[in-house]
Amino acid sequence: MSDPQQQQMIREAMKSIAERKPGRTKLVYDKTKRTIVAVAEGVQAPRALNITADDADMFAVVTLSSAWLRDNWALLKQDGRIPASLSSWDDGDAMTHSVLGVQPSPHIESSLILFTETTPPAGQDLRIILTPTADSPDRPGTFAAPDGQTYRAVCVRGTNNAEEKPEVYFADIQPELATRRSGILESAILQDKCVLVIGVGTGGAHAAVELAKCGVGRFILVDRDRLGVGNVVRHPGSISQVGRYKVNVVQDLIHEKNPAAQVAAHALTVSHESCEQIRVLIAQADVVICGTDNRPSKLLINQMCIEQKKPAIYGGAFRRAYGGQVLRVRPGESPCQQCFVSAMPEAAADEEVSTSADADEIAYSDRPVAVEPGLSLDVLPIANMLTKLALLDLLAGKESSLSMLERDFDAPWYLWLNRPEPGTQYASWPPLSESSDEMTIHRWYGIYFERDPDCPACGNFLGSLAAHYGLDLGSLEEVPALPGKEG
Amino acid sequence: MGWTLEQRQRLALEHQVLQREGFDQFGVYHYAADDSYSAGGLATANSGYQYRLWIPIPSGYPHQRPPMYITSPDPLLMFDMKPVSSLGVSHQMHTLIPLAGWPQICHWRDTRWHSGILLQKVFLKGLLWIEAYEQHLTTGRSIADFVSTMAERA
Repeated sequence: MSDPQQQQMIREAMKSIAERKPGRTKLVYDKTKRTIVAVAEGVQAPRALNITADDADMFAVVTLSSAWLRDNWALLKQDGRIPASLSSWDDGDAMTHSVLGVQPSPHIESSLILFTETTPPAGQDLRIILTPTADSPDRPGTFAAPDGQTYRAVCVRGTNNAEEKPEVYFADIQPELATRRSGILESAILQDKCVLVIGVGTGGAHAAVELAKCGVGRFILVDRDRLGVGNVVRHPGSISQVGRYKVNVVQDLIHEKNPAAQVAAHALTVSHESCEQIRVLIAQADVVICGTDNRPSKLLINQMCIEQKKPAIYGGAFRRAYGGQVLRVRPGESPCQQCFVSAMPEAAADEEVSTSADADEIAYSDRPVAVEPGLSLDVLPIANMLTKLALLDLLAGKESSLSMLERDFDAPWYLWLNRPEPGTQYASWPPLSESSDEMTIHRWYGIYFERDPDCPACGNFLGSLAAHYGLDLGSLEEVPALPGKEG
Repeated sequence: MGWTLEQRQRLALEHQVLQREGFDQFGVYHYAADDSYSAGGLATANSGYQYRLWIPIPSGYPHQRPPMYITSPDPLLMFDMKPVSSLGVSHQMHTLIPLAGWPQICHWRDTRWHSGILLQKVFLKGLLWIEAYEQHLTTGRSIADFVSTMAERA
C-alpha cells in the first residue's frame, strides 16, 4: 500500500518540478527500491539518482494565440468547435499555432478547438478542449475569454488506445513582448514610429530586425536585390529563402519578431529615375536608415532627406569590413553626407565591395574589380551602432531610460575598426593590451567635424558661388539658346 | 518632370563661371524645343588640333554625373587606327560607355561624383584627357600612362 505522506511529498515535488521552482521536497530514483521516491530537500539519499525538471519535461507543448482565440470566440461559442492549424516542430514535440508567425513548419497538423464537452467528429486526432475553471487566468494553460470566464485548455492527441496530453500554453504576443522591454522602452513608445530602411543587405536587415524587437511599429523597406546563396553567410535571411526579394525576406523576419508591425516592402532601385517614389516614402518616415553601399545612392538619399528635413543614419563597412563608419545627419544641425564627402573624401570613399553589381560599378572592362565582402561578424558592430543612433532619433522628445544617451552620442561621425588593416592609416594602431590612451581596434570613436556652410546639399552653395563672382542669384542671365540639338 | 528653379539657377551660374574663369570656349546651352540643357564647346589642344566636347545635362544634375563625349573628330582614332569608342569602358584609355560612336571620357565615375563638382572641373579634365590622347597618338602608350587615376577632390 502506498504511504499517504510519501504520496503527498511526491505530489508536492512534482508540482515544484512542473513549475520549475524549488520546493520542500525533491524526487529521486531509489536504486535499491528501484522506484521513484520523494525526500525532503537537503536530505542525502544514498544510492539514489536526483530527478530534475529536465527529466520530467517529456510532454509535447501546444501554443495557441490568445488574440486569435479572442477574435474567434463568438464563432467558437456558436458552433461549439473551430479548426486551428498548428505548425508541428521536432516530430510533434512542439505544436505552434500557425497564426503566431509568418514562417510555418513544413509539417502542419490540423486540430479542433472544442467548446466544453462538445463531441469531436470521428477521426479527429488532435483536439483542444476548453472547460470553465476557477483558476486564475495567469496560470499556464488558462485563457481569459471575452465573456469574462476563465477556461482551462486540455489537449488530447491520439485515440483511446494510445492517447497523450500535450500541455497547452496561450501566447498573448504584444503584452508578452512589451513586458521584456519594459523598464528600458515603455510598451507603446515606438508603436507609432515609422522607419524607412533603404538597402536591406546585411546591415540594413539587421538594423530593421533589431528595431522590430525594440517595438518600432511601422517599417518601409526598399531594396532591389534578391537573396542569393552567397548572401546567406552574412544576411539574416536563410537558405530556404534564396531567390526572394530581400525586402520580402526582411518583412517576414520583422513579423517573426513583432507580428503587429506594419511593413511595406518595395523592390525598388534607388536612382534618379525612382526619386519621386523614394521622396514619397521619405515623407512617411520619422527616421531614414541608409544601408546602401555606394556613394551615388547615399548622396541621392541625403539630398532628398535634407529637402524634407528628415534625420538619416548612414552606415557602411570599409573594404572586407576591416572597419566601418556611421554618419548621423540631422538636417540643419549636423554635417550631411555631402559635407562628409567634401571634408573627408578618403574616408567616404573606402567602401566594401560586397556584390558583383557593386564591383561592376567601379570596374573597367580591362581592369575588373573583385568582390570582397567582409564577415557578418565584422559588419554587425556597425549595424548595431546604426540601430542605436536610429533608436535615439526615434525616441527624440519622448521620455525614456535611453534619453540619457543623447549626451554620449553627440558626434555626427562614428568610426569602428575590426582589425588594423595593412596599408591603411590604422595599420600601426597598438594591440588592445598595450594601449592606454591611444586608439585601438574594437572601440567606437565619435568624431566631430563642422558643417560646410557652402555645401551643395545642405548649405548655401549657389548663393556663395554667385557672391564669389559678384552675381545676384535672382537676376542671372539665362544660358544661351541652342539653335539645333546635338546628339 | 521638368527642371527645378535651383537646377536652372545652377546651370546659369555654371555658364557664368565658365565665361569668367577663362573657359569661355565652353558654355551651357538651352534647347527650347524639348527644354533640354547641354554644355560643350571646341577644345584646342596644345598642338593646335581641335576637339569638340559635348555634355548632355542629365535630369538629376548636379546630383547625377554628367557624361562627357568627344563628338569631333568623328570617329576619334587610336594609335592603331581603331576607334577609341571600340574600347567601351577602358581603364587604360580612361573611357566609359560610348554614345553613337563618340567616346565618353572618364572624368569621374558615378561612385565618385558629387554635386559639389562644377562643369568647369569636368571640362578641365576633358582638356587633360585630350593632351594625354595626343601623347598616346605620338607614342602608342596608353592614356593611363600620362594621367593618373582621376583625383578624388573637386
